[in-house]
Amino acid sequence: MSFLNKLGIGLGAAAGTGRETPRTIAAVGRPRPNGPSPIAAVGATRAPEPRESNRVSNGLKEFLWNLEGLGRGTLLDLGPAWQTTLSFFIERGFRVSSEDILRAWKEFLQEEEGKLREATGRAAQHNLDVTPAARAARFLEANLQYPSSSFDAILLWDLLDYLEPLVARQMVANLTELLRPGGVVFAMFHSKKAEGFQRYRVADSSTLQVISSPVLCPAQRVYQNREIQDLFSRYRTVKSFVGRDQLRESLFIK
Amino acid sequence: MWKKEDVKSQAVPENPSAISTSPALPAIGGSPTREPSSAPVSSKASACISQGIRIKGEVTGSEDLFVDGHVEGKLNLSNGSLTVGPNGEVKADIFAREVIVRGRVDGKIVGREKIQLWSTGNVAGDLQTERLSIEDGAVLRGRVEIETGKPLDKFSEARGAAAGASRSGPVPVSSGSAAD
Repeated sequence: MSFLNKLGIGLGAAAGTGRETPRTIAAVGRPRPNGPSPIAAVGATRAPEPRESNRVSNGLKEFLWNLEGLGRGTLLDLGPAWQTTLSFFIERGFRVSSEDILRAWKEFLQEEEGKLREATGRAAQHNLDVTPAARAARFLEANLQYPSSSFDAILLWDLLDYLEPLVARQMVANLTELLRPGGVVFAMFHSKKAEGFQRYRVADSSTLQVISSPVLCPAQRVYQNREIQDLFSRYRTVKSFVGRDQLRESLFIK
Repeated sequence: MWKKEDVKSQAVPENPSAISTSPALPAIGGSPTREPSSAPVSSKASACISQGIRIKGEVTGSEDLFVDGHVEGKLNLSNGSLTVGPNGEVKADIFAREVIVRGRVDGKIVGREKIQLWSTGNVAGDLQTERLSIEDGAVLRGRVEIETGKPLDKFSEARGAAAGASRSGPVPVSSGSAAD
């Protein structure tokens, strides 16, 4: 079994994804009446209109409060490039860098799978190190390449839940290097394994829009409090806000 | 051969309102909605590099250009508008008055007046413009610089709200309401 399948991203994983999707809908309580089934949506070239809802975010409020008075700050947004999120911060004088890490991770895994298949096909002695540590190193060599202390703030969203634990750990270490002293990271963690796949964008200073999207990467793990503190042990302040939707919003100040 | 007619039909959206079918999102640093005039820009395109054409080097000019092929090097349209079509792949720094990306661009984009990323657009590079609009689904990997006037200060509202949230205790654990 390829590592893509193990991670639930490979071709064989489609069925698994499909099996999980209806549960997601049931959990949300809003089944799609007549539209295309969510199973068809996974991997479709043109996804159906994503479902959106709003979520009051105390973590975002606190994040903004910490950035107040910064003037022309620099922000790294590790989610998709949403117009509303970029507008929100740019209008407030921020220079925003955008990098959709989960999309990059998915593409990276597909490339790795291709390389592996090619090497196996040639029946050659391939020297591609497929250990998680080597994979994490290769991924991070190709992503998040910025000078150290480049950013005042980082929007990490909930992507650590979806990355291999080793990649997540190494990525947090890299982000810590990219953040200036006093800089803030806004992250989210699911208190139970996320069944659906959602992306987030800033609607206003206290509201996030939650957008249900086709599964890009399946959830990898649920981080417990102690593990989160461990991951961010180099940060001096940690604040958490737990929502009724089992989503923990956390702020880490370097 | 060149299939100019085909290319033109790609350049002009079949539905002129196609660009505004996405949620109306305010253009960064500009007017709150996309201007209808932005859609038919490519219809005026007097030149096109159609699918299957590959150019390596520097392309300069002052007319509008539609690129649905491959361009590698540098694209400089001082007063023109550049549209990268859905099949277009540009590995070049782009300088133009207005840039519309529906395909793939690997390089820095300077759109003096406006940059539009359509849902099929994929950009790896920094963006510099006065106004930017991004359709849902577009992929951007790079820094955004908007050349506008004085940045707005809207943090006071957030501060008040955050202060309210923090009053609940030393370690604020609030019931941030769920999506319902």
